[in-house]
Amino acid sequence: MDIFFEQYFDFDVMRENFSDVLDAFWTTIQLALISGVLALLLGLILALLRAAPGRRMLPVRGLAIAYIDLFRGVPLLLVVLLISGSFPFLDFLPEWLRAPDMLGKPDIFWYGVLSIALTYGAYYAEVYRAGLEAVPLGQSEAAHSLGMSHTVALRHVIVPQAIRKVIPPMLNDFIALMKDTSLVQVIGVVEVVKAGREVQAETFNSSALTLAAVLFVLVTIPLARIVDRQISRQQMLTQRGVL
Amino acid sequence: MTEAVIRLEGVHKRFGDLHVLRGIDLVVPAGSVVCVIGPSGSGKSTLLRCINLLEPIDSGRVVFEGKDITTSSRKELEVVRRGIGMVFQQFNLFPHKSVIENVSLAQRTVLKRSAEEARARSESMLERVGLSDKLEEYPERLSGGQQQRVAIARALAMDPHVMLFDEVTSALDPELIKEVLDVMRELANEGMTMIVVTHEIGFARDVANDVVFMDEGVIVEKGPVRRVIDAPREQRTKRFLGLVLEH
Repeated sequence: MDIFFEQYFDFDVMRENFSDVLDAFWTTIQLALISGVLALLLGLILALLRAAPGRRMLPVRGLAIAYIDLFRGVPLLLVVLLISGSFPFLDFLPEWLRAPDMLGKPDIFWYGVLSIALTYGAYYAEVYRAGLEAVPLGQSEAAHSLGMSHTVALRHVIVPQAIRKVIPPMLNDFIALMKDTSLVQVIGVVEVVKAGREVQAETFNSSALTLAAVLFVLVTIPLARIVDRQISRQQMLTQRGVL
Repeated sequence: MTEAVIRLEGVHKRFGDLHVLRGIDLVVPAGSVVCVIGPSGSGKSTLLRCINLLEPIDSGRVVFEGKDITTSSRKELEVVRRGIGMVFQQFNLFPHKSVIENVSLAQRTVLKRSAEEARARSESMLERVGLSDKLEEYPERLSGGQQQRVAIARALAMDPHVMLFDEVTSALDPELIKEVLDVMRELANEGMTMIVVTHEIGFARDVANDVVFMDEGVIVEKGPVRRVIDAPREQRTKRFLGLVLEH
């Protein structure tokens, strides 16, 4: 049994590599937050395009659905490889996209962000769609009967109510997104799993990876509790007819 | 003769195989109150929803203030609907907005009134329906009767030329019905043109100029309130009124 603890819980290994692992975890957090925000925006845009009314918008709805189907079906790892491997050569792309270096981060960081945002945007679009569909029809009828346009009704009446409904599933998906940031290591981004792996390769000991797991859990458990609280709050409000 | 605010000509509406309206002709003169009665499923609510084209119609014409609006574009309809206020059975207040915001929102976004102007107008409409003390409340904190009065104020704040009421007391507890009917009665006395789908025969008798009795998607009988309610000619009308007035 000693060998088990030595392999996974060697505190000397953890202590020696603590600051490296923590630095890498900060990169993980930055990846998750930036791509999470972008995915939230992309998802909302996709969901609204998908719900655009009228026959003239049919092609737009079709494109939105095609995008969502495509990016939900393709593995994130594959998207990461496709983007990082060839974007530098696509000379028709603007410089900030072809070789991004915003906020002093290297291009591989931004290829990772872009891949995660593009993929999770498709997931978030579906979550938003569920939220939009959960707003009672009477709400848009009331808005239209007052002379509001589709856009005004969405902006002031429908979307604010839909967003309230989708906060718990969004947070759930954010936990998944955060864990998936580890895939970005294949293109050289030193996020927390990569940092742990490097220690593992040098020491033949997994304790730095255990440390990485602990860091993940320290962030995801509070998030999960927030989700639980939100859900029970919403159930209460739904029962009282507010949502 | 006064000009008709609303005129329906041969309106048909189908939901799939269900033929809900089968050739409706109706003229609503300015300043008149028309009550539409009839059994559930007779097409009363659909008729009302076809007037502001919340439901597009399959054939026939809807004429608002002399203008055929049947084939209006989306943009044109938005303008038309400003002139047609509607109140729903389920209130449909915006739950994430306070009472004053509910009443002000469309004034701001549709009529482009300034914040001060919209607020002043909202306050005066809410005073009119007796809710001056609830401006900052949220709908969830109000009774059904209060919510419905907010909904009426919200529609009135747009200065409509006609008001559509879709069974507005049907979702209310019995003791809350009167406060809503009183507001509507007052509105009628002030000369508002109103089309009221209702089960409140007493209200229809007191307030309506004309009564329309519908069954199975057609207007069975229409005419002055005294004639239709107190001396119906059609068997179906007699049977319905007998059932409603019995209890």
